[in-house]
Amino acid sequence: MQRSIDLGAASVVVRSPLREFNAQLDLLYRDHSQAGDSGFADVRVALLPGPPWRVWGPQVRLWSEASCPFDPYPLDSALPLFEWGTNWLLAQRLNAHVLLHAGVVAREDRALILPAAPGSGKSTLTCALHLAGWRFLSDEFGVLDTESGLLHPLLKPAALKNRSIDIIGGQPGAVLGPVFAGTRKGDVAHFAPDRASVAARRRPVTPALVVFPRYREGAALRCEPVRRAEAAMRLGLNSFNYRKLGPVGFDAILRLARTAPAWEIEYGALADALPCIEQLFGKAS
Amino acid sequence: MSTHPAADCALLLRGLHEALEIPEARWDRVLRLARMTGLHGRLAAANADNPTVSERVRRHLLSATRMADFSARMLDAELRDVAPLCGGDFPVIALKGGAYALQALGFARGRFVSDIDLLVPARALRTMEARLHAAGWESAALDPYDERYYRDWSHETPPLRFPGHFLELDLHHAITPVTGRRHFDPAPLFDESLPIAGSRFRVLSARDQVLHACVHCFQDGDLALRVREIADIDGLLRSFAGTTGFWPGLVERANALGLGRPLWYGLHFARSWMQTPVPQEVLSALPGPAAVLRRPMEAYISLALLPPDPDRPPGLSVRFARRLALARYHLLRMPLHMLLPHLARKAWLRTRRRTPDGANENAGGGP
Repeated sequence: MQRSIDLGAASVVVRSPLREFNAQLDLLYRDHSQAGDSGFADVRVALLPGPPWRVWGPQVRLWSEASCPFDPYPLDSALPLFEWGTNWLLAQRLNAHVLLHAGVVAREDRALILPAAPGSGKSTLTCALHLAGWRFLSDEFGVLDTESGLLHPLLKPAALKNRSIDIIGGQPGAVLGPVFAGTRKGDVAHFAPDRASVAARRRPVTPALVVFPRYREGAALRCEPVRRAEAAMRLGLNSFNYRKLGPVGFDAILRLARTAPAWEIEYGALADALPCIEQLFGKAS
Repeated sequence: MSTHPAADCALLLRGLHEALEIPEARWDRVLRLARMTGLHGRLAAANADNPTVSERVRRHLLSATRMADFSARMLDAELRDVAPLCGGDFPVIALKGGAYALQALGFARGRFVSDIDLLVPARALRTMEARLHAAGWESAALDPYDERYYRDWSHETPPLRFPGHFLELDLHHAITPVTGRRHFDPAPLFDESLPIAGSRFRVLSARDQVLHACVHCFQDGDLALRVREIADIDGLLRSFAGTTGFWPGLVERANALGLGRPLWYGLHFARSWMQTPVPQEVLSALPGPAAVLRRPMEAYISLALLPPDPDRPPGLSVRFARRLALARYHLLRMPLHMLLPHLARKAWLRTRRRTPDGANENAGGGP
């Protein structure tokens, strides 16, 4: 079957005969996918089973523009392939914007940006803040509009890895897809954002605060301001296309660093990090 | 909703020259074909100020423009870094993308560049390579067989790259593989080459640039999706054809270098797909394929060069045409007694090597 998914800053059309995969999309994109073709899409993919003679270890392939840009995955892992593959394709095509590698959540259209390297706890923190009442904008891409300076939502499910799966999955209200064990990044499960966030996916937000999180097991909470120049450098380094955008990216990042104060927090427990972030956000105005 | 890929492709090629007034769903198809063929930068350059496009389409064009700008900056930087190594003791000719940018030709706007091709006389090849190595460029690590493939059978050195740079640098001493059927002595290319004001690089004469583009399109690689090369030929012809004596000079040169056939193909398809103004008498003066073969040839080249329907895996006919094109490419590159052991070795290696994780872009024309 074919469906269109409106993510906010971009749209995806996906086609697949795989029943299980479609059921997973039904769950994770329950509020923003509809049957059929929207007419225009930023990314179009088909997830098709590999050759039928491959009885031992059947595979699924992601087709995009009549070719397979990635290696096939095991047949039951169509969802991780779809999520990873569409992220890659979106990163190729959304270069009208600066694509920060960051989680973004918001309160009353004011955004908190959580840029971070993999493993720093960005996804866990983004989901935890969302479950604590923040609006979810994105977990992977902070879509910074170079013309308006605003951030656009890109409502893809958050990819939770390893221990975060239980930490977030155990919280009331959390909706997670199935756990895919032993992928390249370990165990992965996808967290679905709530209906209100999805409904607001066309409403951009103003950057208000940048927090560089760093999770360290058993660490006591530590929270320090980051100077603007350093914040700008780190935001640029944590972006998918900063270097390619040249002067356009430089200007957009400077503007962001000038608007939003930046902090770094190190934490060992979500229960410490959340109140600290709430407090920083309250002060940033 | 799906329209025929050939009609969409015709639209794309028209969109390289003029602003398109088409509905958004049609833009969806044209943008996809543009990305497949690497023409999205040029499409964006011609449609940057098109007031009829929707916001979503405008964003895609802007995205392509910014990536093309990046590509142009990287090209500029690489040429600037290589320039001090051109000492004036032998000519260094920029080919293809580098040359189009140095001459500021109109169609270079939005044209993506993935590597820099430089042509030096065969006697200067080692010197130039040594200078690049001394300045920090590194050759791709190759096993002895691949090294020999490049040195003895190819017409270029293994690709060079300065650590951290985006572009690869290919150093050529000829524009055709030395073991190939169409190989010729490149000395006349140097004799006719032109200086670029304010630069240490030279470029091929106008007619040689056209011939090189044709050779590159039809002789020098796998044919799949090479419509971009036809767009180059079209761009060159539109830039140069106004010069007096251009056409007779082009034909004369092609015949002298034994490149009449690739030129016929280049001119034929530029005219047929892009309405490039090519006089009929020029085509008639060239050794085209026999009349009975033209129709099957036309169908086969279209299948191999034009993008297939983006909505489905390529059909049998497309795959067959590409396989055929690849076979032809190999045969033009080296005689059978060299080719068969070479391909056998490649096939054997393939069974042993698994492709690494992640993106596996289609392997190009390397060893």
